[in-house]
Amino acid sequence: MSTVVEQIEQQIAKLSSKAVKKNTGTIRAVADGVAKLDGLSDVMYNEMVQFPGGAIGIALNLEADEVGCVVLGDVSQLKEGDEVQTTGKLLSVPVGKALLGRVVDALGRPVDGKGPIDATESYPVEKIAPGIMVRKSVNQPLFTGIMAIDSMIPIGRGQRELIIGDRGTGKTTICIDTIINQARINKVGLASGDKAFRPVYSIYVAVGQKQSNVVRTINSLEAAGALEYTVIVAATAGDNPANQYLAPFSGASIGEWFMENGMDALIVYDDLSKHAVAYRQISLILKRPSGREAYPGDVFYLHSRLLERAARLDGKGSLTALPVIETQAGDVSAYIPTNVISITDGQIFLETDLFNQGIRPAVSVGLSVSRVGSSAQIKVTKQVGGKLKGELAQFRELAAFAQFGSDLDPKTKAQLDRGSRIVELFKQPQLNPLSIEMQAAVLWALQKSYFDSIEVKSVVAAANSFKEYLTSRKDALLTKIRTEAKLTDEIEAGLKASADEWKGTFAAK
Amino acid sequence: MRGDKKTKLLAKQLFKLSLVNGQVSPEQVAGVLAYVEKSAPRHSLALLKLYQQAIVTELAKSHALVEHAGPVSDATLHLIAGAMTKKYQRVVTASAKPNAKLLAGLRVRIGSDVYESTVAGQLATLSNAV
Repeated sequence: MSTVVEQIEQQIAKLSSKAVKKNTGTIRAVADGVAKLDGLSDVMYNEMVQFPGGAIGIALNLEADEVGCVVLGDVSQLKEGDEVQTTGKLLSVPVGKALLGRVVDALGRPVDGKGPIDATESYPVEKIAPGIMVRKSVNQPLFTGIMAIDSMIPIGRGQRELIIGDRGTGKTTICIDTIINQARINKVGLASGDKAFRPVYSIYVAVGQKQSNVVRTINSLEAAGALEYTVIVAATAGDNPANQYLAPFSGASIGEWFMENGMDALIVYDDLSKHAVAYRQISLILKRPSGREAYPGDVFYLHSRLLERAARLDGKGSLTALPVIETQAGDVSAYIPTNVISITDGQIFLETDLFNQGIRPAVSVGLSVSRVGSSAQIKVTKQVGGKLKGELAQFRELAAFAQFGSDLDPKTKAQLDRGSRIVELFKQPQLNPLSIEMQAAVLWALQKSYFDSIEVKSVVAAANSFKEYLTSRKDALLTKIRTEAKLTDEIEAGLKASADEWKGTFAAK
Repeated sequence: MRGDKKTKLLAKQLFKLSLVNGQVSPEQVAGVLAYVEKSAPRHSLALLKLYQQAIVTELAKSHALVEHAGPVSDATLHLIAGAMTKKYQRVVTASAKPNAKLLAGLRVRIGSDVYESTVAGQLATLSNAV
């Protein structure tokens, strides 16, 4: 017995006499969320440093005589001469399914008042993007639920598709609709018991946004039942620039966990314009040389290293990125928009004019593109919507010419009529994504001229009536379209019978 | 006070001149100070502050400040100096400074490295962990 006690005592003696080595420095100056430090001779780039009072910082500038560090937390308690120490760790955030349904800050700490997050793993915020060999081509669709996008600008799992447009053109709405659609698909897929079904988890990163907007987004997701499949990373306008700079990287780490563990995830960066502004602020305070529009020289690398982390991995999962960029007066040739356009695999351009004309979502067909193209579409969408983009582009061109005269040949008039019907059909209310089978059915009806005899102003009502008819009476047909994912003779016959029956009832009204 | 680029460069050059075999030489420092007094370069105050900072940082690398709560013998100081000289491969001197806040144990500071084996340090670690 006494031997055991002695052993424990020896162990305690060993521990208590063990000296701990720390590398320390002192604060030389603190201003605007950035601290200049003396000492810290062993500090590494991007290493976390510990300030007194629990605040942490990240070493971003390693110079001969000082270290520049952004402070994540309350700077009001810090003063000149305070001791700072290195931690030997890179900044990490908790990851895993425990974060689903939660709202966290840039450091992964819960801010929703729902208690601590039970996460067992953490990932570093800065991580090198997956290399070439581990990547797989993007050929699985990610349905946004927005007919204009799914049929003409398809997005694939692992793709980076930019959402770009002026303020108030519906950029965030498209992202929220996409998240809601993933939740709906997840619910249907998981309920079906299909073992091959791969749910898509979403991460919404709010950078520099008004807190009221973030609350609205959370409420929308909650009301649609999508929050349980979503993680929200919030670095609002009230947070310091360091947190705003870090939030997209934290979100990417959370998304990477799903990808690395064989799952699919979608991440929305809303928005990278404000992210660039936050980074510019930090860089200017750190006295880094400024370049075009006063952005630092590495602002391209800032976004490229972030967006390169979205990928589809061979034998694992995928991370799809929807970065958002806000333009000024529709100028897509500004510095940050052109940077992000060149990094991403396509863009969805939203036009203010279209929005004001009531065409919502205000997707500009001419300027929007998906570089992944039809390889990320299922067969049924290709069959019913393959020619839509061309038809719509032709319509826009003809509509511009038709303004100059009313004497049009029948072929041109037919093209204009059809185009205006397509435009009407693509109008979709917000927070109301459409399932892919419903989109296919509506587009099939359009292709088969079921809407041609209906007045243009009644097309939206007719489409809604058709959707309602299919939902209430032809659920089996819709399920068949979803499961088979192509137009078979049987499905086409079913659609024809349904459309004929609906047309009869609609015309009778 | 931060000097401009030229002042920083000059301070760096003066600092290099103050070293002999990688150690700060009092004679060289006296020479540098005499030169600054005589030539009165621009931003002398900023220059001298930068120079002072560089010298202080360099001297701190060769001096182990042993903070202690309780008695520390000369033999212990000698042992610490010897161990640090071996570790950093430069001549390190040691001096003692009593610090009752440590409660018990020793804290050795050399340059920006701190070796801590104190009760206060362990309590702080415990409080951070809780």
